[in-house]
Amino acid sequence: MIRIVHYINQFFGQIGGEDKADIKPQVKEGVVGPGMAFKQAFKGEAEIVATIICGDSYFNENMAEAQETILEMVKGYNPDLFIAGPAFNAGRYGVACGAISKAVQDKLNIPAVCGMYVENPGADMFKKDLYIVSTKDNAAGMRDAVPKMASLALKLVKGEEIGLPKDENYIERGIRRNCFSDVRGSKRAVNMLVNKINGKGVETEYAMPTFDKVDPNPPILDMTKATIALVTSGGIVPKGNPDRIESSSASKFGKYDIDGEMELTSSKYETAHGGYDPVYANKDPNRVLPVDILRDLEREGVIGKLYRYFYATVGNGTSVANAKAYGAKIAAELRNDGVDAVILTST
Amino acid sequence: MDLEIQQRVLDLTGKYGAENVVVILGGAEAEAAGLSAETVTAGDPTYAGPLAGIDLGLRVYHAVEPEIKNEADQAVYDEQCGMMEMVLDVDAIISEVKTIRDQYCKFK
Repeated sequence: MIRIVHYINQFFGQIGGEDKADIKPQVKEGVVGPGMAFKQAFKGEAEIVATIICGDSYFNENMAEAQETILEMVKGYNPDLFIAGPAFNAGRYGVACGAISKAVQDKLNIPAVCGMYVENPGADMFKKDLYIVSTKDNAAGMRDAVPKMASLALKLVKGEEIGLPKDENYIERGIRRNCFSDVRGSKRAVNMLVNKINGKGVETEYAMPTFDKVDPNPPILDMTKATIALVTSGGIVPKGNPDRIESSSASKFGKYDIDGEMELTSSKYETAHGGYDPVYANKDPNRVLPVDILRDLEREGVIGKLYRYFYATVGNGTSVANAKAYGAKIAAELRNDGVDAVILTST
Repeated sequence: MDLEIQQRVLDLTGKYGAENVVVILGGAEAEAAGLSAETVTAGDPTYAGPLAGIDLGLRVYHAVEPEIKNEADQAVYDEQCGMMEMVLDVDAIISEVKTIRDQYCKFK
């Protein structure tokens, strides 16, 4: 029987939510939470002998220590395979799954499989090192994710050949392998071209990594006449957060009038961001959104003027797709209003 | 369905017996209502809560389903649910919850 150790966080370990995210690694014999679904998916071919549960905050804030403890726990059960997650779009959980799987693979020489949503930061960090099964962005995708992870894991532990990412449902690892084809290159290229001309799909044989390259805008020639706007993902909002921008996974952005404000005072502004210690931002919101400095530059004539409104959202856990949409909307409004340049501040 | 509610459903079912419990949902869209319905019948599909791996098979309905609506005083229903009934995708919710119920409910 194939022996498996399964890693999950405090939430799926049924210990608690964010309030329990600082728990230290603990180990339980047998299955816990999603392990039940894996048990079904393995159909008796493999057994989860132990489940390791660790708080997401604890792991990420004490990475070296947590990894060392968990590696010792894994070693104790002498497994053939290690499974972590699935973490869906939970960022810290994803990073923890990736980091511990890589450690298990590298240091204990035990194959590992994770599951994550493609936009999980852990996926980008570890996809080159690990097989990460592509999942939905929330736990409702458990039923879909588990059989895929289980089947890939079994193949891996049995030493079977792992096929292409799209066939085996894992996130592209950027690995290229040479193979022989019956058809010579020139003919394949012409076939592709003919398919393309006929409006049929063309699949490249040589996938390139996608880089999110943004061409720099042409420089502003005369800053003394330029209107400059401030936009932040650091969550600065009027006190009381009138638009109720969420402290995590923001579903919106806000637009706020700073006409006549020479600086942002702690009595009128604060941060809505839930992903960093807000003490210093609340004490002096200019630290995140530098209205004070921009007013100085305006007075000194370095810039033409500071735009009358600022835009703010919370970057914490906000999906890339949403962030892009907010960016496009904000940019369109700024252009309409004749703004020449934007200073974008984070946290 | 959050963990506390799952625990309450589990406790109440233990106290009164699964055959005596009906769960009425109020979720605002079909997928969420379907997940809640699945949680109290086949078990928590996210495997995160107390109902993970526990198939209670309870009777479960959404408040907009005719089975529930027809039990209520029409005037009170209109006052309490009429507005939401207008804005929700009632057909999608009914179809989702009914599909789950037909598949997993143990008390038909």
